[in-house]
Amino acid sequence: MGMVTKRKKMHYGDTHLQRRWRVRNRRRDLDQIDDDLRTRSGELINQNVDLEKPGFAQFYCVHCAKYFIDDTAMQAHFRTKVHKRRLKALEIEPYSIEESERAAGRGSFQQAKKRGMETQPTKAEVIAGKRIKVEEKVETTAAAVSTPVASSSSTRATRNRPQKMET
Amino acid sequence: MRIETCYFCSSKIYPGHGVNFVRNDCKIFKFCRGKCHKAFKRKKNPRKVGWTKAHRKTAGKELAIDPSFEFEKRRNVPVKYSRETWQKALEAIKKVTEIKQRRQDHFVMERLRKGRDIEIQMDVKNVQRNMSLIRSPAAGLKERRAKEEAEEAALMDEEDLPEEKITYVDARELEKRLEEGMGIEDLEMLEA
Repeated sequence: MGMVTKRKKMHYGDTHLQRRWRVRNRRRDLDQIDDDLRTRSGELINQNVDLEKPGFAQFYCVHCAKYFIDDTAMQAHFRTKVHKRRLKALEIEPYSIEESERAAGRGSFQQAKKRGMETQPTKAEVIAGKRIKVEEKVETTAAAVSTPVASSSSTRATRNRPQKMET
Repeated sequence: MRIETCYFCSSKIYPGHGVNFVRNDCKIFKFCRGKCHKAFKRKKNPRKVGWTKAHRKTAGKELAIDPSFEFEKRRNVPVKYSRETWQKALEAIKKVTEIKQRRQDHFVMERLRKGRDIEIQMDVKNVQRNMSLIRSPAAGLKERRAKEEAEEAALMDEEDLPEEKITYVDARELEKRLEEGMGIEDLEMLEA
C-alpha cells in the first residue's frame, strides 16, 4: 500500500538543443560559406596536411564546412540529404547585415538572387585548375539542369577511386 | 547617439537596448531583443520568418523599391556643422518621412484593392452558378408552356398547306441511269 505514484514527465525540455546553440559549438554561417565558395574554394579543397583535423584535412566539403576521414566517407556524404539540402540553401544569396539595413528602409530593397550550385570538383580537378563558380542562374527547364548533374557525379565517383589509392 | 538596426527584424535599436554579437571574423550582429538573438542562434532565415521586415519586403507585402528610401543612408562622410544646414535637414526629414509614409500606405491599399476585385468577381461567379437557389427554374413554367402552345397553334394555322409529295429513289439505279446518259430532266419526266 505504500506505493509512491511518480509524476509522469511530459516535457523533456530543450537542453540538448540549447547545448547545440552555444557559441562554442557554432559552425560556419551560410554567408561565410558563400564567401569561401567565391574566393577560396581552391585552397580549401586542396589543403595542407593538418594532423589535428579529421582525415588530416584532406577531405573537406566546402558547402557543408565539414572534414571527412577519407574519400569514401566524403563521397557518401555528397549523396546524403544533408548535403543536398545545403546546396539548395546556398542557391539563394545569403542574408547579410546590409540587407537588414535595406529592409529597414535605408536604400531600396533588393530581391535575393538565385545562383547555380553544384557539388565541388575533386582534388585532382582543383589541382588542374578548376574552381567553384557561383554564377547567377539563367532561367532553364528543370530537366535540362538535372541531367548533367547526375552524369557528372557518376563520372566523378569513378575518377576518384585511383586517387584514393595514391594517398 | 546612433539608432542601430536589428540584424534579424530590422527594427530600431535605441542606446542601452539589445545585444551585440561579434563573430570570429569581426562582423558585428546587432539584435533588438532576446527574441531576435535567439532566432539568430537557431540559424533561422529572416527572409522566411513572417514577422521580420526582410520577409515582408521579399514577399511584396510592403513598399520595397522607392526613391524615398534613398535619403536615409550611412554615408560615412563627416559634415562640418552649420546652423543653416542643420535647420534645413530637420525640415527635409519631416517632409521626407511624410511622403514616405504616404507612399507606403498607398502601396498597401493598392495591394488590398486587388483582393477586393477578386472577391467581387468570385461573388458574381457564385451567383451565376447558384442562380437556381435564388430563382427556381420552375418559376413561371405554366405560363411559358401555355405561351409555347399558343405559338405552335399559330404556326399550325399558317402551315395548313397540303403536304409535299416525297418520292424515294434508289441511289444505285439513279447512278446507272445517269451513266447511260439521261439528263435530270428526263428522270423527272420518268417519275411523273
